[in-house]
Amino acid sequence: MKNTPKICIIDDDYIYRYTVVKKMETMHLAANTMDFEDGEVAMEFILKNLKIDSELPDVIFLDIDMPVMDGFQFMKEFLKIENQLSKKITIYMISSSLDPLDIERARKIHSISDYFVKPIKTEQLQSVFSTL
Amino acid sequence: MGKTTKKKSKIPYHKIFIEQAPSAIAMFDKDMCYLAVSDYWINEYSLYGVELIGQCHYDIFPEITEDSKQLYQECINKELNVFDEIPFKFKDGTLKWHSVNIQPWYITKNEVGGLFIHTIDITPSKEEEFKKARTKEIFAQTKETAKIGTWEANINTRKVYWSTMVRKIHEVSENYIPTIEDALNYYEEHQSRPRVTKIINDALDKGFSFDFEAKLITAKDNYKWVRVVGKPEIIDGNLTRVFGIIQDISEAKSSRNQLNKAYAQLRAVYNSESTAIFSTDSNGVINHFNKGAELLLGYTASEMEGKETPLGFLLIDEVNTFRQDLALQYGKNPEGFSHYKDLTNEDVNDTREWTYVCKDGSTLSVMGTVSAVKNELGNNIGYIAVSTDISEIKQYQNELLAKNELLNFAERLTVMGHWQWNPFDDIAKWSKSLFTILEMDETENLSFSSFLNFVHPDDQQMVSENIELALKDKKFTSFTTRMITTKGKIRTIHLAGVVLTNSKGEVLELMGTGQDITEITMAEKKLRGLLESAPDAIIIVNEQGYIQLINKQTETLFQYEPEELLKQSVENFIPNLLAPIKAAKFSNVATTRQIGVIEELVGLRKNGQKIPISITMGPVEWEDELVVSLGIRDITKQKEAARKILKSKENLELLAHRLTEQNRQLADFTHITSHNLRAPVSNLNSLLEIYKTTDSHAIRESLFEKFETVINHLSLTLNTLIEALKSKGPHSEEDIQEIRFEDIFNSVKDVLAGEILKSGVSIKTDFSKCPIIEYHKIYLDSIFLNLIGNSIKYKSKERKPEIEIESFKQEGKIMLEFRDNGLGIDLEQHGHKLFGLNKVFHRHPDAKGVGLFLTKSQIEAMGGTIYATSKVDVGTTFTINF
Repeated sequence: MKNTPKICIIDDDYIYRYTVVKKMETMHLAANTMDFEDGEVAMEFILKNLKIDSELPDVIFLDIDMPVMDGFQFMKEFLKIENQLSKKITIYMISSSLDPLDIERARKIHSISDYFVKPIKTEQLQSVFSTL
Repeated sequence: MGKTTKKKSKIPYHKIFIEQAPSAIAMFDKDMCYLAVSDYWINEYSLYGVELIGQCHYDIFPEITEDSKQLYQECINKELNVFDEIPFKFKDGTLKWHSVNIQPWYITKNEVGGLFIHTIDITPSKEEEFKKARTKEIFAQTKETAKIGTWEANINTRKVYWSTMVRKIHEVSENYIPTIEDALNYYEEHQSRPRVTKIINDALDKGFSFDFEAKLITAKDNYKWVRVVGKPEIIDGNLTRVFGIIQDISEAKSSRNQLNKAYAQLRAVYNSESTAIFSTDSNGVINHFNKGAELLLGYTASEMEGKETPLGFLLIDEVNTFRQDLALQYGKNPEGFSHYKDLTNEDVNDTREWTYVCKDGSTLSVMGTVSAVKNELGNNIGYIAVSTDISEIKQYQNELLAKNELLNFAERLTVMGHWQWNPFDDIAKWSKSLFTILEMDETENLSFSSFLNFVHPDDQQMVSENIELALKDKKFTSFTTRMITTKGKIRTIHLAGVVLTNSKGEVLELMGTGQDITEITMAEKKLRGLLESAPDAIIIVNEQGYIQLINKQTETLFQYEPEELLKQSVENFIPNLLAPIKAAKFSNVATTRQIGVIEELVGLRKNGQKIPISITMGPVEWEDELVVSLGIRDITKQKEAARKILKSKENLELLAHRLTEQNRQLADFTHITSHNLRAPVSNLNSLLEIYKTTDSHAIRESLFEKFETVINHLSLTLNTLIEALKSKGPHSEEDIQEIRFEDIFNSVKDVLAGEILKSGVSIKTDFSKCPIIEYHKIYLDSIFLNLIGNSIKYKSKERKPEIEIESFKQEGKIMLEFRDNGLGIDLEQHGHKLFGLNKVFHRHPDAKGVGLFLTKSQIEAMGGTIYATSKVDVGTTFTINF
């Protein structure tokens, strides 16, 4: 990995966003982070930078439960534009929900690489960065 | 005698004279004692060797009648001289006629001494005289019987004298004397009268004799044929009179007519086209061949007569049989027998069936009579054959035979026979089938007792009684009896019959049929068994719905006696069934259908009790009639069970509904715990982890702020959940009260006074359609607060906010509607989380996602529902169905 990876956190919970950033810092994982408090604003950004790979994130941490546009609604929109992207964006769904329905639903979407239950663990973050 | 002695001297002379007289003469004294008698006398009266002298004449001939004695006495007393012809009957019975001369003799001039009797046998001359008289009499009688009368016409007076017979013939009165013209008028006017008039005129004018036959009409208008013979009498060249006889010949004439008629009829028969007649001469050659024969056989008379023999169209076998039969009949040697040569004067008359072979080769059956033809000497000179075509009769006979065959066949098939019984002679006749049924020889003689012997001992009395009753009432009532065959098998026989009587109503004969119904009975028993073994009540009804057959279960089900059910309309026991029965009858054969399971069908018991029933019905062909069988089942228990099941189902549905609801609420809680509770907890964990790993004091400071935020959020979430859970708990009676919508609205308006003023919202309410509700006051407060607050919170900046609140009733339920003109929600996108906890759809500073969650929880806890309709940038309507 030559460049520092761009990590995008889509979550309405700012405490959570803060903890993730802090966790990466303490783990000395070099990353540029950007965050959106719901799916809609994130999608607006992606659409705006559809062809600008430098602006687009390498990894998205996507929450499910969000106002305005939740995680699954976001994925629905993302799948529509996925083939227009030249950059590969790896998406992880990260939720506090232990509900098997949510987990199963996420698994069925092939563009979601994995599903992590909050809080995200050190090893999980480690593996995210190692696969980059 | 003393007196005679005085004249003794004279006696001898007399005596000698008398004795020798050449005729039968006897001399008697006054006492009629013989004084002298001639030899002729003795000879005449056969008195040889009889001492006559001194004997009384009456003692010698006791047969002398009193009349004669009296005559003699008178002759003596009155000195009469009698000459007479007297019949004398001898002792041996012979009768002789005597000419008798009785003369007294005198002793003195005035004194009679006795009588001389002189007899001459005049029998031969007397007989001649009798003959004459008899001839005359016979002639008269003959005239009478021959109906011949005499007549005489006087030319001068023109009167005609008719004898009695002539008058009789003319049927006129005794003293009728007609003129010639009158007489002529008796003749029939068209044919006879002109002819007779001419003949009579010729006789009168020219003196011709005549002899004619003519028809006359009598005074009494009867027709008669008469023969009239007449002869004119001419004296000195002048015609003086015409006389003659007239004879009634009607009978002779009519005999002749009849003979003519018979002859004509014979001709007609001979010429008949329907009867074939031919005759042969003594050589067997045909000499007559009539029209009928021509038509029948196809040969012409000219082809046959004098040329052919009947052998040309007869079958030689039949001819030989005929010859044999004749030879046998007349005792001749059949060998080489010829009915032409060997029967010379026998009166052959043979009638039999013959087969004729026609000219075209076809054959036909005739009934032919062959008779000998005789000459005047009585010798056979040939034969005549008269035949009629019996092909048709034969055909009928064959048909009759075939029909009889058919009857036998039918009897065999139906195992039925027929019988006749004459109760007086006690002679019974059975048809073949009856013998077969009882496995008997047909030759056995039958009587009532022999019949009764075949009857099963247990049935004998019944049979006897039935027969006696039939004879008494002259009406045969059919009955069924068991009979035992010669091989010991028991057969069930149904006997039907009629009693034949004469005009006086006396029984002549019984006749009828006997049918072996063993199989049928067995089938019936099977059917009965089948019916009885069926678990359901079974009723068979005809198409009019009248009950024909029932089983035991039917009696049990309806609690009626069989006779109360049979022949009654099924409607009396199962109302409203006739229409389905008719439908079943007209539906396709063999389709059964069930009724009464879903729709209500009841059976009526005798005691009026109604029982729910289900019926399986189907059309059945039975005894050539389409009937409907009904399988009836008491479904009281099923109905009860069904009711219970239905009840349980309702309960279950309610329970399921509750469970679903609870499940859904549980799912809500899973969601809430997953997202709304776990999120802050995981945040706390993460913050704690950072806290542990950081050494920076500044970071730790900021972490505490964050802890506080998370804990506050967590507290809010927990409080909301507790609030929601509380609403699901039981509600006390006190919480529910009658509330005016208006009051609630006013109190909420006060609470939200700040927001209302700040937002400038205008709120219109209409609670007129339903001003009051019985509800949980706190919840209703919460509903108004949340929904009004919501509308203000998500108002459109483009428009002046407006809220309309309306209560009304729909389908008996109270409804409440909140309509705003705010931002609106894309329900397609967010509908699923509209009423979720912490769900917000707007990046709004006040959006906490708690209000609608709580409101919904409360409404559902009260058994109601809430839903929303919305259009983005137009407005949202929340509807509550209490």
